Amino acid sequence: MRHKRTLWTELTIVAIAVTFLAFVAAPAGAQVKIRFQTWHWGEKPVVNALEAYQQEFNRANPGIEIVRDESRYADKESVYIAQSQAKVAADIAHFLHRAIPLLADRGYIMDLTPFIEKEGGQKFLAQWDQAALEVCKYKGKIYCINDYVNPLALLYNTVHYKEAGLDPNKPPTNWTEFLDYAKKLTRAGRYGMGLIGARQEGLFMRLNPWFWGAGADYLTPDLKRSALDTPEALEGFRWYVELFTKHKVVPPGVIEQGAQEVRTQMALEKVSMNVAVIQAPLIIQAINPNMKVNEVMAAAPIPAGKKRVTSVEYGMRVISAYTKNPEEAWKVYKGWISKDVQLRNFKIYGVISARLDVKSSPDIANHKFAKVYAAQAPYGKIEPLVPEWPKIGDAMITAVQEAFSGVKTPEQALKDAHIATNRALGVQ
Amino acid sequence: MATGRTWQHERRLGYLFVLPATLMLVAVLIFPAFITLKVSVTPEGGSGWNLTLIHYQNAFRDPVLLRTFKNTFAFVAWSLVGHFVLGLGLALALNQALPGQTFFRLIALVPWTIPDVVAGIIFRWVLNPIFGCLNPLLHAIFPGFPAEFQWLSSPTLAFPSVIFANVWRGYPLVMVMLLAGLMAIPRELYEAAEVDGAGRVKRFLHVTLPGLSTIILIALALDMVWEFRRFALVLAMTGGGPGTLTEVLSTLVYKSYFQFFTFEYASAMAILMSVVLFVLSLPYIVLVGREQ
Repeated sequence: MRHKRTLWTELTIVAIAVTFLAFVAAPAGAQVKIRFQTWHWGEKPVVNALEAYQQEFNRANPGIEIVRDESRYADKESVYIAQSQAKVAADIAHFLHRAIPLLADRGYIMDLTPFIEKEGGQKFLAQWDQAALEVCKYKGKIYCINDYVNPLALLYNTVHYKEAGLDPNKPPTNWTEFLDYAKKLTRAGRYGMGLIGARQEGLFMRLNPWFWGAGADYLTPDLKRSALDTPEALEGFRWYVELFTKHKVVPPGVIEQGAQEVRTQMALEKVSMNVAVIQAPLIIQAINPNMKVNEVMAAAPIPAGKKRVTSVEYGMRVISAYTKNPEEAWKVYKGWISKDVQLRNFKIYGVISARLDVKSSPDIANHKFAKVYAAQAPYGKIEPLVPEWPKIGDAMITAVQEAFSGVKTPEQALKDAHIATNRALGVQ
Repeated sequence: MATGRTWQHERRLGYLFVLPATLMLVAVLIFPAFITLKVSVTPEGGSGWNLTLIHYQNAFRDPVLLRTFKNTFAFVAWSLVGHFVLGLGLALALNQALPGQTFFRLIALVPWTIPDVVAGIIFRWVLNPIFGCLNPLLHAIFPGFPAEFQWLSSPTLAFPSVIFANVWRGYPLVMVMLLAGLMAIPRELYEAAEVDGAGRVKRFLHVTLPGLSTIILIALALDMVWEFRRFALVLAMTGGGPGTLTEVLSTLVYKSYFQFFTFEYASAMAILMSVVLFVLSLPYIVLVGREQ
């Protein structure tokens, strides 16, 4: 018994000593860790750009360490909200424009105005695409500075064009031509167009150019009521749905197809055209390494309806309102949106920066795909930035799926989405 | 006196032993349940103790929630039928003294080892009209079968497809419980019935089924509770679509909480779901109570 007690006493002393030494032996200038959250940490080639910045920054700033923090694309907002409620959100996190009102309304993200003022205020902000910056502004505050601009364009297979007797140098410019092309390309087990019908954000990105192109909008200009009851809304909605239900230029199972499935269909030559983001050629190449994507694929503006318009997605980082190290977080933030890093990001994973000096650089102006995509940015439009958007968007996806599957007619599906949208907005 | 002191000491010791488990239960079950209950009676975006029942009132008026309740009941009922029929059939087969019995028992358990979300993804790909393997197989067997048949995009077949996947994923639990029950039925009963001239069907009806009745009730009660909460399989296979045709309560609550960020309404739905689950699990609770 006595022997046992001695042993326990000795073990306790050792444990205390080890703990004490661990504290004493810690480096004098303890590092500030900045958690840099994105869903891209496990995704090539984006991760190469992230790691390059991480290593470069950590080397140049011995007192600060960028630490990787992985999120998932599908639930990035919900996880961040849960982390914010527990006040343990990542110092810097990656989002798309739709998240800003959601997070800002709840006070989870930091107003960057004081940092921007220190950097020179308007002169500093003038380096960015002003339309892009608008999505960072909410209720008089600036919550982010854009990282990248992701407009959509029409990506098409030039070999399929030739096989269908179409000129690859003359892609369709309007809806009539587009439908004619899609019908001609639907042959030999292939389909003219890949569409998204799955319940994901990507659906809007692909639906919007047609919907807005018909002159429609989701909400009235004051953002208070649904505008889904207009003839233009029905025209745009029907156009998208009937590509599948009436014209049969879209592969079966459209409701199951997300962005990645459609890219896979393109990589495996099951579809010939797709409304796609600029990263699509790289992803298609990764899915089918045998396809010479740079030679086979080409990009063009999305065929215009009544209006020339495309979807655009703005990517940005935000700083948590709960960060314990705001100055260090800003340093990391500023470095990531610097010209050199943004240009390197383009070279690594082909994304177009919202920085004007990068957007107009020769690297982008001479790039086969990037020059087309960059030229679409001025026609870019986003969904209404209202906190109710997730509900409205869900109602719209439900309507699209119901119309695709024939559960409801396009008219009825859109009418129900109109009612659901007004309900979400609190309209009696 | 000494005996009393020992008894008191033992009682205290007993409380001490259950304390860690109790604390754990409070931390991971009772506290979150209390918070959810509180959030469900908090006004939207509100805090503190200004309470309201508006979310419950809204829930009872919400056509989507009512439709989802119906979907969930249908999903649970058909899953239970599938699990029972398949589970009992396989349990009877695997209870026979056949060569390779252990191997087949292990194989039959495989679906149980596959996580929900993985099973959902597997079935989504199997049923994919273009890249899936089911259509080519059916087309090879029945040449008239459409090569690009739509399963999950069809308003009539999406729900049965999800139920089919869930039956495949979940039958082993019922099978294992019934197999254990079958193995516990004394052989002598079958021998006696056989001597009395009972055939296979009579032996099944008068020996096997009565011998399994308690196990069947427990298995189905447990299965019902678990199927009521089924989430990842549905989310991975259809996301609740087409439209809301395959939406179940757990996916609706998830969507409401994590996509619409209407925490209060989602909490109210979760509480309603818990109440229904509690009512559904009453037979099991009563049965277990009686057994004890």
